[in-house]
Amino acid sequence: MFKTQPQSTLDSSRDDLAVQIQHLNYFFGVGDLSKQVLFDISLELPKGQIVILTGPSGSGKTTLLTLAGALRRLQDGSLRVLGKELVGLGDRALVNVRRNIGFIFQAHNLFESLTASQNVEMAVELTGKFASKREQSVTMLSALGLADRVDYKPKSLSGGQKQRVAIARALVNHPKLILADEPTAALDKKSGRDVVTYLHNLSRQEGCTVLMVTHDNRILDVADRIINLVDGRLESDSTPNDFVQHKTQEALTEVSADMFIM
Amino acid sequence: MIKRIPLAWLNLTHDRRRFATSLAGVGFAVLLMFMFNGFMNALYDSQLQLLNRFNGEVIIVNRLRTNMFVPRAFARRRLYQARAFEGVQDAYAMYISEVNWKNPENRKSRVVRVIAINPDEPVLNIPEIETHRQALKLPETALMDTKSRVEVGPVEAGVISELADRYIRLVGTFTIGTDFASGNGNLLMSDQNFLRYFADRGPEEDKRSFATVDVGVVKLAPGTNVERMVKTLQEHLPNDVLVMARDGENGFVIRERKYWQENTNIGFVFSLLTSMGFFVGIILVYQILYTDVADHWAEYATLKAMGYKNGYLLGVVMQEAFILSVLGFIPGVLVSQLLYTAAGNATGLFFQMTLERIINLLVATFIMCLVSGAIAVRKVQTTDPADVF
Ligand SMILES: Nc1ncnc2c1ncn2[C@@H]1O[C@H](COP(=O)(O)OP(=O)(O)O)[C@@H](O)[C@H]1O
Ligand SMILES: [Mg+2]
Repeated sequence: MFKTQPQSTLDSSRDDLAVQIQHLNYFFGVGDLSKQVLFDISLELPKGQIVILTGPSGSGKTTLLTLAGALRRLQDGSLRVLGKELVGLGDRALVNVRRNIGFIFQAHNLFESLTASQNVEMAVELTGKFASKREQSVTMLSALGLADRVDYKPKSLSGGQKQRVAIARALVNHPKLILADEPTAALDKKSGRDVVTYLHNLSRQEGCTVLMVTHDNRILDVADRIINLVDGRLESDSTPNDFVQHKTQEALTEVSADMFIM
Repeated sequence: MIKRIPLAWLNLTHDRRRFATSLAGVGFAVLLMFMFNGFMNALYDSQLQLLNRFNGEVIIVNRLRTNMFVPRAFARRRLYQARAFEGVQDAYAMYISEVNWKNPENRKSRVVRVIAINPDEPVLNIPEIETHRQALKLPETALMDTKSRVEVGPVEAGVISELADRYIRLVGTFTIGTDFASGNGNLLMSDQNFLRYFADRGPEEDKRSFATVDVGVVKLAPGTNVERMVKTLQEHLPNDVLVMARDGENGFVIRERKYWQENTNIGFVFSLLTSMGFFVGIILVYQILYTDVADHWAEYATLKAMGYKNGYLLGVVMQEAFILSVLGFIPGVLVSQLLYTAAGNATGLFFQMTLERIINLLVATFIMCLVSGAIAVRKVQTTDPADVF
């Protein structure tokens, strides 16, 4: 299905991967003030995988997410998203890449002036499908259990419902990649769990790849894979079970307990 | 059918109270511009109220009378000479002088302008002259301008008072309005009565007679070329008089307006005040738009993350600016109209809201909002979607 290129991995591109990162370094600032936040990251996310990215605060998780989301310009290494090399792309080209990615933030970021459906329709309008936008939006909101809330404004929705509207907005154009940064951080336990369950089920259904940053250890079970980032370096890459066991041991032996914040 | 969600409109109107306040703000700036601009135009336009009533195509004045304020008369002979030209139907004399009028209620003296004509001649387009012709021919009678300032006292038929310390009786009213040369108001009387009051006002005042005239109004025969007639008259009449068309670019009316525009600070002062209104508007609208962008910063950044380009967000802010300018203009213009009427009544000045002036200020309001929008838009452009994470 794909060719293996043993030597020059930098040029290789495999179409079974949603995200392919090779030897990525990232610096904030320039000159003397420049500060490296990501160190030689190499990472492959196969299509359809749900990946949780965890690690201490300040370790570079958000930075990695924004890079994969084509939200920042990149100069070094290689970062392919959905088959497109992002390194060296200009702002305009980056915007076009973004349209194939669904973003979910810690805050819902919904327009208070728009109804749930209109907020979702804003995403559909990007595709130019004006005739069917309402239908698409209602379908997606219904899939998130909000069929009876489509014409409510955010003010009359609960926190969990608002985050579900934001997820509907991220998913309505059926993106192949979803990037979520602590989507449950602002929610209580139950609605946080609900939101993640919806996200999990829908992305499975749609077959899309999810890269989610979270500190919430109660939702680790939805992941196929857990990546731990510490000080800008990939520390571990494992299945949820291994990860939890490993961490528990570490916690018992009191080796850098702060690496995993619960 | 392409029907976008009207994000600009929804964001602006979402908070009704804030929207109302915003419109009031824009309306206020519009009002400021209308009032200052209105006063400026009223001061100019008012100078022309009497001139616009002159019933003739050609006007003759003393060459030294650079504006209506200058009390220079010319020889009445010139009007007889003018009458001799082919194409001249008639040449009427008008006498103008200023004198004290006693307010019959509080006995205080106020300067008014007296305009005198032969009531049998159609010198002025003032219908009340015709109505009161017989009464005007009686001794010591006059009509008074209803737009005279309140200081002159009651303005109605039957009022008895003193003009130049002599008995006078009002037999009716007419309406022109005040200007710089009119003092507290206008009084209209027959030329015969004019002589009664002004022929001999004592050693210190000019003695007036029918030998000199203040303004000559020349009526041309129908179909006569005005420009050519003006030229002919100017060439043939002695150089002590100036002959001008009443209307047109080089006409008497425009000359009077220009005189006040060029020789007073009115234009400078009121243009400055009008532009102050303009800048107040820019600041207000900028404040409104900036607040909107700042309050919805995360949402706009999210739109950018989703794939919206700067151009779209720019459009949203500009649409908001456009909506504010149009919807703020309407209350602004309506309230201004009310204030124009009130100010006109209070001052006797001629406040007119012409279509041209409305359009000019609408354009100014547009520009005002666009400038604010252009400044506020920078906030959106610099919004970095990477920062919402
Ligand atoms: N815009 C920025 N400019 C400079 N430094 C930044 C910026 N954003 C993040 N950083 C720094 O980069 C490091 C990684 O940050 P971040 O990716 O937000 O970590 P995490 O999401 O894991 O908490 C931190 O040390 C942070 O201070
Ligand atoms: Mg973070």
